[in-house]
Amino acid sequence: MNATARNNTPGKLAGRPLEEWNGAYSKVESYFHALRMNNRVLLGQLVARVLERAMERSDAEPQRSATELAVEEMDRLVNEWFAQVLQAPPAGAEMLSTRGRMALLLADMPGRWQDQFLRPGPWPEEFVVAMREGYLRAGPDFQLAKMTPRPLDLGPIATLTRWSRLPYVKMAASWVLFGALLVLLFYLTHQ
Amino acid sequence: MPSTPPTAGAGTGQAQRTHIEPMPRVRRGWRVFLFYSSAVLLTGLVSMLFADLLWRTGWSLAGVVLLCLFMVLFLVIAVGCMHGVYGFMARLSGDRRLTGLKEYRGQNIKGVSTALVFPVHNEEVARVCEGLRATYESLEKTGRLGNFDFYILSDSTEADKWVEEEQRWFDLVRDLDALGRIYYRRRVTNEGKKCGNIRDFLSTWGARYRYFVVFDADSVMKGETVVELVKLMEAHPHVGLVQTVPALVNARTLFGRMEQFANRLYGPIFITGLNFWAQAFGNYWGHNAIIRTEAFMQHCDLPQLPGRKPFGGQILSHDFVEAALLLRADWEVWLAYDLEGSWEEAPPTMIEAARRDRRWCQGNLQHFMVVWAKGLRGLSRLHLAQGILSYLAGPLWLFFLLTFNWMLWSESRTGLSRITVRPWTPFLRVSGTEHAFLIFVICMAVLFLPKVLALADLALDRERRRAFGGLTNATVSAIAETAFSALHAPLQMLWHSKYVAESLFLAGVSWGPQTRTAEGTSWLEGARAHWGHTVIGLVWGSAIWRLDHPTFWWFMPVMAGMVVSIPLSVLTSRTSLGEQTRRAGLFLSPEETAPPRELAALRARMAAEAADGQLTPRGADCGLADVVLDPYVNAMHVTLLREKGQNPAFARALSDLGVGRPEVRALCEKLLAEGPERLGRQEKLLILSDAEQLPWLHRQAWLRPSATLARWWQGQIREYAR
Repeated sequence: MNATARNNTPGKLAGRPLEEWNGAYSKVESYFHALRMNNRVLLGQLVARVLERAMERSDAEPQRSATELAVEEMDRLVNEWFAQVLQAPPAGAEMLSTRGRMALLLADMPGRWQDQFLRPGPWPEEFVVAMREGYLRAGPDFQLAKMTPRPLDLGPIATLTRWSRLPYVKMAASWVLFGALLVLLFYLTHQ
Repeated sequence: MPSTPPTAGAGTGQAQRTHIEPMPRVRRGWRVFLFYSSAVLLTGLVSMLFADLLWRTGWSLAGVVLLCLFMVLFLVIAVGCMHGVYGFMARLSGDRRLTGLKEYRGQNIKGVSTALVFPVHNEEVARVCEGLRATYESLEKTGRLGNFDFYILSDSTEADKWVEEEQRWFDLVRDLDALGRIYYRRRVTNEGKKCGNIRDFLSTWGARYRYFVVFDADSVMKGETVVELVKLMEAHPHVGLVQTVPALVNARTLFGRMEQFANRLYGPIFITGLNFWAQAFGNYWGHNAIIRTEAFMQHCDLPQLPGRKPFGGQILSHDFVEAALLLRADWEVWLAYDLEGSWEEAPPTMIEAARRDRRWCQGNLQHFMVVWAKGLRGLSRLHLAQGILSYLAGPLWLFFLLTFNWMLWSESRTGLSRITVRPWTPFLRVSGTEHAFLIFVICMAVLFLPKVLALADLALDRERRRAFGGLTNATVSAIAETAFSALHAPLQMLWHSKYVAESLFLAGVSWGPQTRTAEGTSWLEGARAHWGHTVIGLVWGSAIWRLDHPTFWWFMPVMAGMVVSIPLSVLTSRTSLGEQTRRAGLFLSPEETAPPRELAALRARMAAEAADGQLTPRGADCGLADVVLDPYVNAMHVTLLREKGQNPAFARALSDLGVGRPEVRALCEKLLAEGPERLGRQEKLLILSDAEQLPWLHRQAWLRPSATLARWWQGQIREYAR
């Protein structure tokens, strides 16, 4: 009789209220939904497997919620499975997880291989090849070259631009313009 | 200055490597002389008539100003008219054009690689991808797909758009089984805007391709057309760029359909006229064009202009200048106006069109700096000057009308009656009013002659007639479109005057987003955009009425456009009216009466996506939520970031952005604990750029107890529960 079974008192599972496990179930199921696991039977089996592992830890870690334990177990289970399928050396969990999820996407797990996900090996050869050899390339190999702007001689405009940088040129120009405007107004109103 | 001969095999490892020499400098002056002399001759004669009219009522300084403005404005419309006249004649008699210079269709393009690039900047991602898909599938049918690679070159600065682009790119690649054929790249910063985007592509991958075809976000091209462009380039090694003439398509609003109809009916004769004088010295319009990579890389990296904005700094309207630089280096630039199968979309509403003009106006005015540059071809200066004048014409016209009003006011102020003497031209035995009316009639004739010629051109071509729903329908549509243009023109005058003023004095003024209902522009948005026009129309109209009743009727068409601007803008933005006119056989275009396969497929897919709700806007920060929570989106985004990091230039840019610094982890903690609303736009982009933090964020978002996460995250996770 395992620890989980021992603590199944009425209204409780593994020593915790049913409602707490319900929350854990919901979170784990959400993650599998996010992985596009749509088959209800498979989904139910997977969630139950994760929760079983969480319940086994439940007694030893009473200060942690069932949901925390469950998502941790889910993460561990998924990463262990990725390591086996991809034959990946033990690396950072995040690196492995990223690679594994990308492989699932490229192998079209949600469309073709839902029944293989988290299943212990051996797996169909086609699935293994798709998982291990699929890679995403957003661009071909770089072939770096350098574009250098050619000088553009702007002729008189360049001179004007240089003049405009002289101190007080703009101020003087605006005064001249204002004066010209006054002359124009005078002329137009005295015809 | 003969440029270094391009190793035409830009496109590494390509079988054929031919040495290409740009053409020697040649004179093709007679066409330009003939064309522009016709416009100048017409302007000179009519200006004489106008000067005579002014002389009859007595010379004044205001009269001289008026005459000068008249000459400039009339020259602009005379040049437009000549495009129509010469284009019509050239279409009748057969013109010298690139596709007719030599047989090119049998050209072998085996081993010639071409990139099709789609620069995007916060665009409607679904539309971009579906446009690309239409072109891809069409190219696939030609059996030449192996010669082409596709690139979505993103410059998007909105996090949600960035993530959506990646997702839709992946879906597209998976649907078409095109991994390794359709690529996606987003720049870390959008320095240099569109031309910086293209330059970045060329610096990274340009050397792989002999040619590249630039698309706009809403462009579609027929596969056969793309193949023909490559063949044209192969057959004409002196050509650096071939610009197709994109037909406007897919308009649904009344405004869009009228613009589309005008583009399709009048476009051919205008473009043929343009080709008549431009020949190998054509222009580049920024998209739907094929470019010789090596020539472009050698000569078209644009320098920064001296001085401050709006004229200094980065060249905004880069396309004209790039064509000018290619021509300066003795490459030919042609308009392949007779190649069908090149399409784009037009702004659906008057307000959207004005918004686009705002951007183009500043860019074209900036060309005033470039037009004087040493070494440019004379024809390049003409192209640049015409671009500038197309926006200056608005304020010049406004100044013309105001000067006329000033003269009127001055006369009325004197209290003297107007004495009209006999005209200087003795054969004109007309009164002053008749004289003015004669000039008015000539102006109208010059304005409308190209439209009449376009209809005559249509009448001579049975197939085209049918494509426009018959000559009667096309004529009625042209009359209605002309009436609309008459009302729209004064608004453009006011808009362009405002833009020119803003460009000169308030660099960087931009519009806010438009509020559009499902039907089009809302009345509130219409009122917001046009209340000023309405007030100007009413005040100006009343002032003229008080000054001189007969003059008011002359000004009536101008004032009418302003006064009715709000209903005009709102009603022409209606898709229901667009649909009704289509059913009535009005404003039909060839792509409506017989939709090409590519456009039909595009429309069907967009309609299906709309019906599925895939085009419905999602909530704010939905892209960020996807990257953090969705296991696949997270993995794909991180993988793309890691791949990007292989490029030293990108790695440097990421590092400059702050990627890899400990502060990013602190931002991630803040994101989880307080939600995205507490982060700035740049902070979100920084997190999304960090390939190390994102897998961590993904795990933490799922592993942490809900109570420690911001309420926003709890809601987002619940969405996966279904």
